[in-house]
Amino acid sequence: MNQKAIKWLYQEIPELVAKGILTQEAAGKIREYYGEIKTTGKRSITLIICGTAGALLIGLGIILLLAYNWEQFSRLTRAILSFAPLIIGQALALWVLLKRPQSTAFKEGTATFLSLMVGASIALISQTYNIPGEMGTFILTWMLLILPLVYLMQASLPAAIYLIGITSWAGSSWDNPLKTILFWPLAFMIAPHFIWALRREIYAIRATILSLIMAICVSCATGFSLGKTWPGAWVILFPTIFAIFYYLGSRKFIGLTSNWQRPLRVISGIGLFVLALQYTFRYIWQYLIAEHESYGFTTIQINDMRALPDHIITLILIAIAILFFYDTVKRKNLILSLFLVVPLLSILAYLLRKESVIIPLLIFNIYVFVLSISRIMQGIRSNNLAVVNTGMLLLAILIVARFFDSDISFIIKGLVFIAVGIGFLATNLFLMRRKEVLNEK
Amino acid sequence: MRNNLIIGLFFCLACAQIITPLSMLTNRESILKSGAQFKFKTEPVDPYDAFRGRYVALRIQGNNAPAPQGVKLNSGQSVYALINNDEQGFAKITSLTTSRPAGSAYILAKVRYSAGERVVLDLPIDRYYMEEKSAPKAERLYREHSRRGNEDAYVVIRVKNGLVVIEALYVGGKRIEDAVKEDRK
Repeated sequence: MNQKAIKWLYQEIPELVAKGILTQEAAGKIREYYGEIKTTGKRSITLIICGTAGALLIGLGIILLLAYNWEQFSRLTRAILSFAPLIIGQALALWVLLKRPQSTAFKEGTATFLSLMVGASIALISQTYNIPGEMGTFILTWMLLILPLVYLMQASLPAAIYLIGITSWAGSSWDNPLKTILFWPLAFMIAPHFIWALRREIYAIRATILSLIMAICVSCATGFSLGKTWPGAWVILFPTIFAIFYYLGSRKFIGLTSNWQRPLRVISGIGLFVLALQYTFRYIWQYLIAEHESYGFTTIQINDMRALPDHIITLILIAIAILFFYDTVKRKNLILSLFLVVPLLSILAYLLRKESVIIPLLIFNIYVFVLSISRIMQGIRSNNLAVVNTGMLLLAILIVARFFDSDISFIIKGLVFIAVGIGFLATNLFLMRRKEVLNEK
Repeated sequence: MRNNLIIGLFFCLACAQIITPLSMLTNRESILKSGAQFKFKTEPVDPYDAFRGRYVALRIQGNNAPAPQGVKLNSGQSVYALINNDEQGFAKITSLTTSRPAGSAYILAKVRYSAGERVVLDLPIDRYYMEEKSAPKAERLYREHSRRGNEDAYVVIRVKNGLVVIEALYVGGKRIEDAVKEDRK
């Protein structure tokens, strides 16, 4: 339940009782039903941030100290050093679970520290015995050993470490499609925690950081692991991922309100626009038509059985994106569906690219134009200058972009720039006037 | 009740977190104690590993063997490399098999690539961790040595049931740590 809403309700109750809308008894029942407002004070948020930052720094410091590789230490000393930090980390975490199970700061801090100490321990033993092997195996072992901490201690920073870890693991085995594809089930294991963190809106900052890291990691991993057997897959994959993020970031059930609290929406919104804008350039499609992109790093063919997991996950993601689009259309949410349509458009453009290079160009030029106009209209309707100006900015970027790849004379270019500039000023002036008039009324 | 479950699960996790590095350690200790000793000629170079510290990478000489008859080896595939000492007392890979050999000393390795009759292997002897400042010095020492025509760096390993642990790295007949120390003086 939204804590802000409850707070508002409690503020209203005395007035409602005074006016006779609610009886004293009903007011009591409401208070009983919703319970006390759980607020996290400034102090406890500071404590959480400082606690986790401290644990993170100390943990990383210990890893670096051990990495120095002290030659004078005997193998026994090294063995003790390998386990001492780990056991200290475990003892701290256990103490918190027993004595302070309610404290977010303690749980985040000790879980983070323990997560790093698991890595330090494996690293020191690898070092002592010169254990061969790629970075990937080491990171994966480490990540699997800290994953349960995320759930047992309800800690988000270990979840973030885990996400970064499995992403770099996927990156380090990028030449092995059968391995990198495992990123998706590995990432899925963190999903319940992610949803849980998003719902606990009072810790908005935690959900914000986690979604930021998730958005970045999943985008990178998409590049590492998907569409490796068909050239130009990224044209469809990235809009798909961003559309899914945009939908999730825009939904109301996630109790985050301001833009900075919604990194999913902000990152994916910018991502979708940048992609759509890129697709308005001729060179991308010419490149794709020529199929210059040689995927030299994998020997697997598109019809190979080993490419199957890749295809399945790609299709699932595309299906999810289309489902979300269908949902927004059904809800008649025009603004949202305008963003979510990008994957469909890119599929269309990708399929039709061989007919003529004009078709994809036409699709995306019209799309970016419609998008910017819709923003401007929406802004004018809601009297929101910021929205109008984003729309104007998008339009201006589109116009400038078209100028760079066409042979239009400088005179016309100049005139169009001036026209766009006047349009900018005029709309702003118009809206400000209207606001003033509204205020006077 | 719920808290008890969490504590119980935490204990299981803590055990796993300890057992994983512990098994890595005991495995290697047992190889060091009772494994067969071999010397491989090698060439040290110096890269870096962000988490585990600095090491000299080892390029083992003679990391290839004749391809086994009638078996196609793909790169990345695991094979057993049988090893034996040559006249000078250095280890040499004599043959490859895909099934675990009985008795004699062997190393579990990965195929890097096959080139005609020969198969080039990725041996699990690829790094020797050193102190941060020693690793580049070790590499330089080796370069100076090899310039004089005596490419006499070798690594002493112990092997047991296919697994390998490095005991020491020698350059110019001295343990690398001692050679670096003398160089400092």
